[in-house]
Amino acid sequence: MSSEVVDFLNREVSAAGAKLMEVEAGDAPVVVEAAAIKDVCFALRDSSELSFEALQVISGVDYDESIEVNYMLASFSKNKEVIIKVILPKDSKDAVPEIESVCDVWKAADFQERETYDMLGVKFNNHPDLRRILCPDDWEGYPLRKDYEVQDTYLDMEVNPAHKINQGDFDFMTKAKLDSSEPKKITGSWKGHVSTEVADALKRKMDSLKSAKSE
Amino acid sequence: MEFVNESQEKIKSDLLTVNMGPQHPATHGVLRVEIKTDSEIVSEAIPHIGYLHRCMEKHSENLDYRGVIPFTDRMDYLAAMSMEWGYSLAVEKMLGTEVPERAEYLRVIIGELQRIASHLLFYGVYAIDLGAFSPFLYAFQDREEILRLFEEISGARLLYNYIWIGGVWNDVDDDQLRRISKFCDKMEENMKKYHSLVGMNKIFRERTANVGVVNEKMAYQYGATGAVLRGSGVKWDLRKDRTYGIYDKFDFDVPVGTGEMGTLGDCWDRYDVRVREVFESIKIIRQALEGIEAGPIMGKVSKIIKPPKGEIYMRTECPRGELGYHLVSDGKAKPYRLKVKSSCFTHVSMLGELGKGQMIADFVATIGSIDIVLGEVDR
Repeated sequence: MSSEVVDFLNREVSAAGAKLMEVEAGDAPVVVEAAAIKDVCFALRDSSELSFEALQVISGVDYDESIEVNYMLASFSKNKEVIIKVILPKDSKDAVPEIESVCDVWKAADFQERETYDMLGVKFNNHPDLRRILCPDDWEGYPLRKDYEVQDTYLDMEVNPAHKINQGDFDFMTKAKLDSSEPKKITGSWKGHVSTEVADALKRKMDSLKSAKSE
Repeated sequence: MEFVNESQEKIKSDLLTVNMGPQHPATHGVLRVEIKTDSEIVSEAIPHIGYLHRCMEKHSENLDYRGVIPFTDRMDYLAAMSMEWGYSLAVEKMLGTEVPERAEYLRVIIGELQRIASHLLFYGVYAIDLGAFSPFLYAFQDREEILRLFEEISGARLLYNYIWIGGVWNDVDDDQLRRISKFCDKMEENMKKYHSLVGMNKIFRERTANVGVVNEKMAYQYGATGAVLRGSGVKWDLRKDRTYGIYDKFDFDVPVGTGEMGTLGDCWDRYDVRVREVFESIKIIRQALEGIEAGPIMGKVSKIIKPPKGEIYMRTECPRGELGYHLVSDGKAKPYRLKVKSSCFTHVSMLGELGKGQMIADFVATIGSIDIVLGEVDR
């Protein structure tokens, strides 16, 4: 299926530069030039042999040096589907790559592009209303980027203050560690405030266990 | 805007902004629609979503492949089995795992029961939206039976974690299968009764016919799927057209909207498609109950799942529409990226255009008819 789309695009859209991406498993996406994305989408929608009537989803994937934007297209009348992939280079960590919006082709792109902008920080030029959609309007950063770090404060509020989260559970776990003969087996993902006394006691215990083992 | 009243005086009117939601009985969850009203007519509707955003996609990047399944449950919590099934299929396809025959049959039976449960909930809640209360109680009576059965099978009433990569985690005994068969007989009779009670009701027909019309072109433009697409007269069902699992073994019809009460693609058509889908599901379950044989329920899957490098886009037909998983693997034990295509998300984006020019009460009927679950919209 994908090779059919590659042939069609290279024939119909001169600037598409479409090629098949080789993968070990799954679907093979069609990679096209970012500048030609709108022409490619128009051509795929309006052609009588392929007629991709619907844009299913836009899915962005973050890599170290680039962000990939995948357009999943589906044809109901011809019973076909294809992944069109655009690779947008990312100069620096915080760079926001730009690409032309395809809202004119499918109205479905409106919400999908907003989500990709919100989650991965890809700017869609000529989008009618490019706002964040899932996160609040004043959120900082793009959560689905691989290097995203959860902010410490949001609107002067502390985000996830450790002392407020399951302090009782945390105390219980610390006590259990101190009492147990094998503290390493007691694990938990809780974070909490631990007093220096307890921390020291725990450290002493771990050290003594370690030295006992090595002897 | 300027108007002239009876005594030829000029009067001015302004648009009034009304927030429908996030806590509102008719928005089916925490959806906020900002409505600019001109008296009782919606002149603009802007959906605001994200109130139930739980970063499911980010979480799944830090979990192993099996650990993602409970998170998929929590998207569409009214059709959790269908959510698990789609994800398991995507991973199985990447791995090339063979699923045992019995597990495939169980998946079909469970998946279709889930569809009935979900459509029953739609039926009840939609009637409440339009002012009828007792259909809700009828629907919940039958839904309760399905949930009890699911509880026996999986140990949970709503969030099952039952369909695993490679098969299902628990077997169903013959007694339970007989009960499913009995339930189907009862459900068929009941659903006929329910449909005549609500669908043929004069008030219900007046409230839903010719309201919130989605024509074929609009459905394509917005990428609508499921009952919304079929309600617009497009005969498209993934179970039939892009078969997955063992759906090719079963004989069933794809109900499409007929426009018999009003315009093709109105709220009544979407309601009607869902009701008729219940009968088709019963048909499928009966065939599956005949065909099911004893055997293993779990295929061979390695302890640590590491799919080869690559990506896949797997679509399945869920009660609310097509669910798609875009899974990117970098060959490690955790998904590199898992993007979920939610049909409800797509359908919410239609509200802006559907709402324009409607009465507020009709807008409520429209929101109900596209049957959204906010857990899936926000993920």
